[in-house]
Amino acid sequence: MGKPKVGIYGLTGCAGDQLNIINCEDELLKIFDIFEIESFVMASRAKNENVELDVAFVEGSVSTEKDLEHLMEIRKKSKILVAIGHCAVFGGVQSMFMGKEPWIERYKKVYGKENAVTLTPPLEPKPLAAYVKVDAVLPGCPIEKEPFLKLAGKLAHGIVPKVPDFPVCAECKWKENECLLLKGQLCLGPLTNSGCGAICPSMNIPCIGCWGPIAKENWESEALLLLEKGYKPDEIVKRFAIFGGTERAELLKNFLESHQKQESGK
Amino acid sequence: MNREIFIEPVARVEGHGGIEVIIENDRVKEVKVDIFEGPRLFEQLVIGKKPEESVSITSRICAICFASHRLADIYALEKALGIKPSPKTKLLRKLVHYGEMIESHSLHYYLLALPDYFGYPDAISMINRFPDEVMGGLELKKFGNFVMETAAGRRIHGENMRIGGFGRIPTDEELDTLKMKALQLIPTIERGIQLWDQVEVPDYLEEETIFVSVWPEDGSYGFEADTIYVSTGETYPADEYKKVSNERVVQHSFAKRCRYKGKPYTVGALARILNMADRLDGLAADYFKKLYNERWHRNPHYNNIAQAIEILFCLEKMPDLIDAIKEAKYEFVEPTRLTGSGTGLVEAPRGLLIHHSEVKDGLVSYADYVIPTTQNLDDMEKYIRNAAESLLKQKVSEMELPLEMIMRAYDPCISCSVHLVKVIRK
Ligand code: SF4
Ligand code: SF4
Repeated sequence: MGKPKVGIYGLTGCAGDQLNIINCEDELLKIFDIFEIESFVMASRAKNENVELDVAFVEGSVSTEKDLEHLMEIRKKSKILVAIGHCAVFGGVQSMFMGKEPWIERYKKVYGKENAVTLTPPLEPKPLAAYVKVDAVLPGCPIEKEPFLKLAGKLAHGIVPKVPDFPVCAECKWKENECLLLKGQLCLGPLTNSGCGAICPSMNIPCIGCWGPIAKENWESEALLLLEKGYKPDEIVKRFAIFGGTERAELLKNFLESHQKQESGK
Repeated sequence: MNREIFIEPVARVEGHGGIEVIIENDRVKEVKVDIFEGPRLFEQLVIGKKPEESVSITSRICAICFASHRLADIYALEKALGIKPSPKTKLLRKLVHYGEMIESHSLHYYLLALPDYFGYPDAISMINRFPDEVMGGLELKKFGNFVMETAAGRRIHGENMRIGGFGRIPTDEELDTLKMKALQLIPTIERGIQLWDQVEVPDYLEEETIFVSVWPEDGSYGFEADTIYVSTGETYPADEYKKVSNERVVQHSFAKRCRYKGKPYTVGALARILNMADRLDGLAADYFKKLYNERWHRNPHYNNIAQAIEILFCLEKMPDLIDAIKEAKYEFVEPTRLTGSGTGLVEAPRGLLIHHSEVKDGLVSYADYVIPTTQNLDDMEKYIRNAAESLLKQKVSEMELPLEMIMRAYDPCISCSVHLVKVIRK
């Protein structure tokens, strides 16, 4: 077997996930050694888009027709497609749930009118899975070096791993941090995917959820914890929505509101 | 003969941009820098959010200059909320800013820009001929990242810089390690700067332009201020930024465009070093004087070497800065009001960055961000046009790289606004 052929691509986002791959200063040469990098335009001019890929890493959200076309092409030629970073996995801050106002209204406020830019039609930002099958995900805003290298190592051996589904709080407790939520700060640790090592609470800063939300089954009781602490549903949802992705933020909103109704009806 | 050159995507810029050049009857008819990067509507995303949430959201505009975005947002919002940060906070922020300059400039100078001038597709391929330089570039980049990890919380999107202060203050030992490393790396960047001697800087694109940067009130060379300086001699207070930028929407780009008094202008390391040349000191001043010539005013390729000199500047300033941080008093400062407005001015590695925010009853009610790359786009088009006109006789395939190099010299952070060159010969 030859070296696995890999492509690293970016759709709409801050390019932080690709940058954190370039940021593997010590391992960068090794990465270029283990894999045949067919395309990584952020790092190299040399590229070959006419080969089948073993693995494609895709960062960014689908935010224009062009993004979508690009994603479809990548999907077609790749055996394994990995969504890297919050934008690709959950849609990024740009897909934030902002209540009832349609996305296009927000667009018009910034660009003046719907057809102000004729380059390529804009789309409401969405994660990759909204359009194509995604084989593995690596969450984080941005992804961190260690989890990326681990994932890349497994993929090099043909293993497609799953992400663990437990909250930041678990990592935070391993680190023996004093809990910020208990101290009265709105920390989203209970609702957020682990993986970062509870970086923020370890610096005395409440988690804002940048690893994305854990699955609903796992956050229901945790969300009630925040209500118990006296936070209003609106306040919780607004913060959760920043990295919550549209769907899960709306679920949380409905969940908290119906819970409150039940409580007041008792 | 009619031809089209379309370079897509422009490799080694962070984000998605393309250059389209249309040639008709052997004349350059049109040059357009297209920004395909999808719209993310940050100015809308922050509405109704708490100020600290705005800071976390806007740092996501760009990965490579997240700290600058974060700082600009913090400055705007601290003004709005009537917060005067403590001396230690101010100095530590400066340290993060230096870290970001070193990280971003070394990535761009060594890994993204230099390979073109020596005929390589990327830095990895360059390593056999220039092992010390490329490894040195990686060392510098790593150090910049290390500064960010220590003081900003993470390499990218660290949350440690807050409105009012820091989450965690680095320990004296951590600061001393940074100080030592900074001193060790000075010879490394000197070698990197000397590499520029071997670079042949193309002259076929040259034309005067206007340079815009911050203008630190204390007379120092720096990356933040409350005043904007325009190289035609005018200064403007932060709140009057619109008189400089005059943003407008164009059809071929999701990034807006800026002009000063109807004229395109340039921001970035070259603008800073030309505007504030008299304020440089130490080795950075020596190298600048040695390398400077009149062409710097007419040629964006010199932005690359200006960045390298700024890396040296930051490394030289770090030891004293770190001593000052250790001495300075710290306090986390709470808001004194919940309604107000403010404008934050900083220099991101690629140029002047402006955040203007308004807060009403503790929630963000309005925001306007002017980003370096949007300010540079008109000048980028101007220089690409000049180059295309001079290179008309060449084959399309031979025109692409020189045009792409111009765009790359600006170190466009296209994620916040841009990859691509298309020459169309009709
Ligand atoms: S500080 Fe935050 S992340 Fe840590 S245990 Fe408390 S709620 Fe969870
Ligand atoms: S603690 Fe929360 S906000 Fe901080 S890096 Fe981890 S997931 Fe992101």
